[in-house]
Amino acid sequence: MSLSGAKILIIDDEPQIRKLLRVTLNAHGYDISEAATGQEGVVQATMIRPDLIVLDLGLPDITGMEVLRQIREWAQMPIIILTALDQEQDKVEALDLGADDYVTKPFGMGELLARMRVALRHTAKTQDEPVLRLGGLVIDLSQRLVELHGEKLKLTPTEYDLLKVLAINAGRVMTHKQLLKQVWGGHQYESDSQYLRVYVGHLRKKIEEDPARPKYILTEPGIGYRFAWQEM
Amino acid sequence: MEQKTTESFIWKPYLITVLFIVLMTIGLRATRDFFDQVNAVLLYLVPVLYSAVRWGRGPAFFTAGIGILAFDFFFVPPVFSFTVSDLRYLISFIVFMSVAGLTAGLASKLRSQIVQARQREASTAALYALSRKITAVSDLEALLAEVVPHISEMLKAQAAVLLPSRVEPMSMEVYPMDAQAWAADEAHVSVAAWVYRHNAIAGRGTKSLREASELYVPLHTDRQVHGVLVISVGDIPLAEMPGLILTAEALSDLVAVAISRVKLASEAKVAQLSAESEKLRTAMLDSLSHELRTPLAAVTGSVTSLLEHESLFTPEDRRELLVTIREGAGRMNRLVGNLLGMVRIESGMLRLNKHWCGVEDIVGVALTQLKDSLQQRVVDVRFDPDLPSVPLDEVLMEQVLINVVSNAVKYSPENSRILIEAGRSGAMLELKVRDEGKGIPAGELQMVFEKFYRGKATSSIPGTGLGLAICKSIVEAHGGRITARSGTGQGTEIVILLPVHMAEGEDGKI
Repeated sequence: MSLSGAKILIIDDEPQIRKLLRVTLNAHGYDISEAATGQEGVVQATMIRPDLIVLDLGLPDITGMEVLRQIREWAQMPIIILTALDQEQDKVEALDLGADDYVTKPFGMGELLARMRVALRHTAKTQDEPVLRLGGLVIDLSQRLVELHGEKLKLTPTEYDLLKVLAINAGRVMTHKQLLKQVWGGHQYESDSQYLRVYVGHLRKKIEEDPARPKYILTEPGIGYRFAWQEM
Repeated sequence: MEQKTTESFIWKPYLITVLFIVLMTIGLRATRDFFDQVNAVLLYLVPVLYSAVRWGRGPAFFTAGIGILAFDFFFVPPVFSFTVSDLRYLISFIVFMSVAGLTAGLASKLRSQIVQARQREASTAALYALSRKITAVSDLEALLAEVVPHISEMLKAQAAVLLPSRVEPMSMEVYPMDAQAWAADEAHVSVAAWVYRHNAIAGRGTKSLREASELYVPLHTDRQVHGVLVISVGDIPLAEMPGLILTAEALSDLVAVAISRVKLASEAKVAQLSAESEKLRTAMLDSLSHELRTPLAAVTGSVTSLLEHESLFTPEDRRELLVTIREGAGRMNRLVGNLLGMVRIESGMLRLNKHWCGVEDIVGVALTQLKDSLQQRVVDVRFDPDLPSVPLDEVLMEQVLINVVSNAVKYSPENSRILIEAGRSGAMLELKVRDEGKGIPAGELQMVFEKFYRGKATSSIPGTGLGLAICKSIVEAHGGRITARSGTGQGTEIVILLPVHMAEGEDGKI
């Protein structure tokens, strides 16, 4: 499946935002459908079977959160949340409910397009590649090896697992909860984000040139972390 | 009921005087050889004087009457008969009666004066006590709650104050609340309303409703009638009402003055408050309209240029206009963010969502956010190698840092340095942002954290005066402190102190 030509469903009650998205996304070669209410959005999602949904959280009839829940009951296509709320709690809730990423209004179009490309790429990827190349960082998943600019890095097992989860999901935001679950597995540390922070700190010291201004592992305040993703 | 009390009241002095006269007569009879009749007649004046002083005019005349009879019967010949043989005795009787009458009159007048003086003294003392009590009270309900029981106690009668209702102009509200039962009665309220409207006393002993068992006194000052004092006087004899009315009027004057004082004080307070909020509103509207219109003007200007004269521009020009639009929109977005933050803080909706965070992390995020607006400032970041985790609301602290660093950019020259330092200082984490800019005069170091305050020397640089005020609220909500250190021409250093440990009652979980 090519990324261009993908079917995108936009669920937003604001005509201006729909128009902006229609024009811009059309120009980038996407095939656009629109829904102005949550109910209509759920119906359209079943009929059109879009490749990706852009969903506004503040809808007039049912909440975006409810739309997300209803769609996630039967479909796994990527959903990107649009929100004017700067309440981090809502974003975290939507992400933990199965949204793939979020963009806060007002957003730069480049940011939205990048999020969409990452989300589409993740679904398009059919088989796992054994080696991830991200900038100067190379991660060999089969051998659990990490190289930075050709030099081998010594990572503890937990650091490696954390880096792996972040890198596999490169470009995509990972909530604290998702990371704790995927790296530590059990529920033991599920509610302790300090643990996570400490390991991210260690990782940054090993892979970042300037840990104070990280280039690989970016903090999403109040939400989680995102591994920076460059187009390759 | 009334009859009985009056009877028993009167009955006693008469019995006593009769006894007195009887005893005296027996004594005088026993010693009649020793006393002249003249002496005896003069001695009979003693009980007259006594009862005049003690009980007043009535008992005095009664004493004089039985005294003269006793004298006539026992001493005037023929003894043991009321017959008088010598007519000259009649003159003695007349003289006796006149002396008795005169002294009784004078004595009883003196007595009533003493009684009045005592009453006056008592009521003056009571008024004084009351006035001292009420000068300290500044709330209307508290005032009435204090005053009404005092009045009740003073007058030994139930009392209540009725004030015109604030809700319904024609109805009256009863104070205190526990007097509702009797004073809220419809008849009372309608009489009180009449008294209020006509500013005239009514009720028992007055011209209107003379026979009623309540007294209604208007509470008036020169300016207006404030309410009505209702006293349930019961069936006190009408003769005693004038004195009571005088006292009640004195009391009501005092209460009226107190009510008017409280009202004026609260009016003054409201006026002051509304003046203050008016000032704030004006400042806010001024800075808002300016702060919103400036970037809006840039956006609108650029967009209309591009729409109407697109062919005139080179690709570089076009790009520059587009960048202007992006900057204008970004500035408006930051302003809206700060305004929302202010509203949230002002309305008490600011809730911290604390996590254990690294300050270096937040500084990193803030610097990434500000990447485009740093404009050739060199940002130098120095962190202690082992900084502790701090319980923070990351999003709000990011806003604090963005505000502080963008101020550093705004008030410093291009190519200057901005230094961000973090280290531990006891139980606090110390975060410092220093620029090489204009600095803040010593007198304004604290005021820059006040809402809408703009430095005098920098008023030409656009801004709302909200940024640092928001920072202060957020930092203080974290239990921290934010201060500014500076001197003119030396740059400014903003110091943020944040507690390293969770406050009590927090568990450090997500």
